[in-house]
Amino acid sequence: MSAFWQGLKSFLQERGGEILNALGEHVYLTMAAMGMAIVLAVPVGLILTRAKRADKVVLGIVGVIQTLPSLALVGLMVPLLGAGPKAAIAALFLYALLPIVRNSYTGVRNIDPAITETARAMGMTSREILFRVELPLSVPIIMAGVRTSTVICVGVATLGGVVGAGGLGELIWIGIDRAEDALIFAGALPAMGLALLLDWVLSVGEWLFTPAGMREDKGSAQAGA
Amino acid sequence: MIRFEEVWKVFPGDVQAVCDLNLEVAEGETLVLLGTSGSGKTTTMKMVNRLIEPTRGTITVQGRDIQQENPIKLRRRMGYAIQHIGLFPHMSVGGNIGVVPRLLKWQPDKIAERVDKLLDMVGLDPDSFRDRYPAQLSGGQKQRVGVARALAADPPIVLMDEPFGALDPITRDGLQNEFLELESEIQKTILFVTHDVFEAVKMGDRIAMLDEGRLQQVAPPAELVEKPANEFVDQFLGQQRFQLSLLTRSVRTILKEQERPEQAPEGPPPEERLGARMSLVGALDLFKKTGRGDLPVYRGKEYMGELHKDDLLQAVGAVLGELGEER
Repeated sequence: MSAFWQGLKSFLQERGGEILNALGEHVYLTMAAMGMAIVLAVPVGLILTRAKRADKVVLGIVGVIQTLPSLALVGLMVPLLGAGPKAAIAALFLYALLPIVRNSYTGVRNIDPAITETARAMGMTSREILFRVELPLSVPIIMAGVRTSTVICVGVATLGGVVGAGGLGELIWIGIDRAEDALIFAGALPAMGLALLLDWVLSVGEWLFTPAGMREDKGSAQAGA
Repeated sequence: MIRFEEVWKVFPGDVQAVCDLNLEVAEGETLVLLGTSGSGKTTTMKMVNRLIEPTRGTITVQGRDIQQENPIKLRRRMGYAIQHIGLFPHMSVGGNIGVVPRLLKWQPDKIAERVDKLLDMVGLDPDSFRDRYPAQLSGGQKQRVGVARALAADPPIVLMDEPFGALDPITRDGLQNEFLELESEIQKTILFVTHDVFEAVKMGDRIAMLDEGRLQQVAPPAELVEKPANEFVDQFLGQQRFQLSLLTRSVRTILKEQERPEQAPEGPPPEERLGARMSLVGALDLFKKTGRGDLPVYRGKEYMGELHKDDLLQAVGAVLGELGEER
């Protein structure tokens, strides 16, 4: 047993800096792609709820992108943007779109029509209905999409190693290349930890963004009229 | 106040929801649109605030053709209350009530003041309810908030679509009574949609009976019950005729002409007085509760005379007899 810990210790002494470095790059790839994806996908999803026919088309296109094997998508970005972080971020960005667009769209679409009709009957404009009623009510669903995308992104970002974007994927690729299991774990375990951590952080964010009246801990309902 | 002139609504697929409707709602009046589902009552109501646009015909509100008006502004001038849901779950009670005042850009302190006043008006303590969320309210409390919200910006017209529909009978009855009292103070023009004939008789100054988009009869409750205009209305009232007759006939109509003393013999406590406009059912209830043989009748503060229990029972018997003869 002590031999194992000794081994781990010397491994970390030797590779620790490299792992931290790769983790930093990995966070950067994920965050950059997710940031852009959120900024684009949430408004697109919301606009689609107001579209008559474009909604099916756009959701279809975004869905098709999702079916492209991630390895191929990353590879296809290289001729366009050159090898390096740009190609990886572009691929991650495209990959992250679908869950966010779709959840923003369905979040609004699934709101009880009686609620939006009441908003309309009270004299809210379409814009006021969106920002005062529909958006706050769909926050939990939009955030669920963001969480899904983030977890996918952390995983897919390991492919950044293939196109020279760095990140934890690089350790894994080197490990595979040299048949060195320790390196594969040195890449995979931090990636798993990162996915879990980001998911947890976002779940806290989801709770914070969810309007108070809709949180799970609603308190006890009062009896009587 | 609200006038429908030859109004039609035909939905795609040639579904005639409203056919050639001519109807006028007077200022301060509560007009009930009564009918089964599919009768066109809700469609009729939703055309008033342009949630639904008529296919043909003209609707005027306060003398102006609503087609010429901005629908957003039109809607902000009208209160709107619907069955159970409707409250915004992400807003507090105060937030819900203040929606229209906020849209109208009232000052925050004026809105807060108005919210508290309305909560008081619908019988909810402002301090304990203002910051609660709809999920923390009972069905009855939600309805109260819904009514308060409809009245928030003090609109001259209020549209109500089965606002007490999702309640148990006892809570509903209590809320109806409170609303009647409230309504006599605030004097609004109300368009009230219901499928419940008892609610219609209770709440309405007049009832407009609809069937398959066509207006069957418009009349005050007593007239609708006593003189149904056609077979449909007659059948709709059906089994409930006896009860409805007792509900729509008031104590005044059976009070015998008698020498009225200027003053009541002794001022009995208010809970032992009959109101002149109280229904025969209400009178029966009060006799049962007090166990008295006769009760004084008052119109407001004015003493009208005594009603003997035997006379009341005779009147009830007469109603039963009338219905028996018709059969």
